[in-house]
Amino acid sequence: MASKKLRATQSGAEEELEINMSPMIDMVFLLLIFFIVNASLIVVKMDKRVVVPIAEHSEPQESKLGRIVINVYDDEAAGDSEAPGRFKDEDGRVVFLTDEDMVDYIEKAAEKWKEAGQTPRIHLRGDEDVQFTYVRRVIRNAAAAGVNEVIFVSYPYRQET
Amino acid sequence: MARHRRAENLEEDKPQLSISPLIDVCFLLLIYFLVTTTIKLKEQDTPMQLPSAAPTEEQPEIQPMFIKVDANGYIYAGTGAAQEVLDTDPSQRKCPLLAQRVDLYKTAANAGNSEPLVQLYVEPNARHQRVVDVLNVLSRYKIDKVTFTDLMDEA
Repeated sequence: MASKKLRATQSGAEEELEINMSPMIDMVFLLLIFFIVNASLIVVKMDKRVVVPIAEHSEPQESKLGRIVINVYDDEAAGDSEAPGRFKDEDGRVVFLTDEDMVDYIEKAAEKWKEAGQTPRIHLRGDEDVQFTYVRRVIRNAAAAGVNEVIFVSYPYRQET
Repeated sequence: MARHRRAENLEEDKPQLSISPLIDVCFLLLIYFLVTTTIKLKEQDTPMQLPSAAPTEEQPEIQPMFIKVDANGYIYAGTGAAQEVLDTDPSQRKCPLLAQRVDLYKTAANAGNSEPLVQLYVEPNARHQRVVDVLNVLSRYKIDKVTFTDLMDEA
């Protein structure tokens, strides 16, 4: 009765060398997940300073492609005393002081989306309390820039905080 | 005899990494992150198709429905003398009277095989929420062609 170790060394010559596959599979899954996450990463930012209105029959956002975000603030300062403005872009950094600025911006963004083969749409985030005349201005500027689809952003219901 | 077997076992056992504490810690972290994550409500869409600036080749066969929202949040339907007030409570998100009216119009449009059209006139001082209430009703009846008319406001 030889010990297991002894038997192992004796039979070792017959066994073939095997590559350990599990680290490779681990790596492949890791890369797969990395690319999946990266590929679908188009984020439409939600500026907290804009509280969008409620519309219970609104639809979930299907595609985030082609969206040109315009934020309409209720208050011109909007918690940002450095760059006050009623209308801002997605990040809240670009301030549209005049209608021409906004038309320019929309035209450029629309051109970019058209090159990517997408229909440009205005993603209008208007505050629930803002006077409609400001929202109307965005719609008018969108029409002037040749974008005919406007998405009014809303919550399906008010979230309790 | 017993001592001999024990010594043999010691020789054969490979040092093993115990993974149960690792799993414990992983679950703990998972639960911690689940608990600390607040689920943020997702924003949704009410898409509306504006009439394009280019003139349409065909004349719409159906008379567009005219809706007006005034500064107090009152909703009216019709124009001129035929105008009547519908929903007058701006704190109420549902507009049952308007919904009824839109339903009638939509049925008539469907019967005539034409696409329903809505003209919306909003007074400049109306709240955005009130306008979205109206759009909400339209989106409920699957009407996505809206014209915003400017009767007098030029901001």
